[in-house]
Amino acid sequence: MKLRAVREGLLLVVLACLPAIGEGIYFRDKISWQSSIPASELVTVDRARAWGDGAIWVDARPDEEFARDHVPGAFSLNEDHWNELLPQFLPNWSPEKKVVVYCSAESCNAARDVAKRLRDEAQLKNVFVLQGGWEEWLKKSR
Amino acid sequence: MGGRREAAGEGYMKFFWRIVDLIVGGIFVYAGVVKVLDPVQFANDIDNYKTLPWFVSVRLAVYLPWLEIFCGLALIFRFLYRGGLSILTVLIAVFIGVTIAAKMRGLDITCGCFGHASKNWNFSTHLVLDLLILLAAVVLFSRVRRTETS
Repeated sequence: MKLRAVREGLLLVVLACLPAIGEGIYFRDKISWQSSIPASELVTVDRARAWGDGAIWVDARPDEEFARDHVPGAFSLNEDHWNELLPQFLPNWSPEKKVVVYCSAESCNAARDVAKRLRDEAQLKNVFVLQGGWEEWLKKSR
Repeated sequence: MGGRREAAGEGYMKFFWRIVDLIVGGIFVYAGVVKVLDPVQFANDIDNYKTLPWFVSVRLAVYLPWLEIFCGLALIFRFLYRGGLSILTVLIAVFIGVTIAAKMRGLDITCGCFGHASKNWNFSTHLVLDLLILLAAVVLFSRVRRTETS
């Protein structure tokens, strides 16, 4: 029983590789293989700062972290209070502006998720995620 | 007479377990197909557990759904049945483990196991469904062992 199960299991593991390789090839340009955010959707602190008034900053961190400190002029927009915060943010947006979303650090996912929702649900264009997040902003501000 | 009744009862039980095979297999095929269609979303869902680096999550997101589909089909068609059942049992057990661990670490995760259908399920709903699948898989497993030893 055991040996047969292992043999069959291994065969299934190998069989599943074949369509997976095919899918990988099919999606090779649509998937970001090294980072969870495609390079085209990332922006560095220096570049985002250079946009000046052409950029709107969005803080995707929890309310208490936003209250403690944030990028000057940034709007708080996190997923915990999405429905309340989005209507407050939208009137400040205009099509020619670039939206820069950030969360705590490189490792957080909140900025990526908020940016995705802004693109998918609010249909905004030019939405970017700040590389290194708030941590990087602080480093560059010293 | 008694023998005939016993045989009928055995037939019903066989039919019942076949239905369980189809349900468990069908659930995994459905879950796999949903994820195959949107590998980026599934990669994000794996990444949300914060246990694996992105380059591993994204490769798993492309591979795991196919494994689920093949193992689900193995249960449905009873081809490579033992292997499929073993893998699905391990997969669901691992999944329950990491879900509980993520919850204990305070992560607000969406498993994305069934695509958009499960997006708004809460933690308890997920856990109950997963435990039911695990229970069904374990019972199917013990049944195979019993029929082989008898």
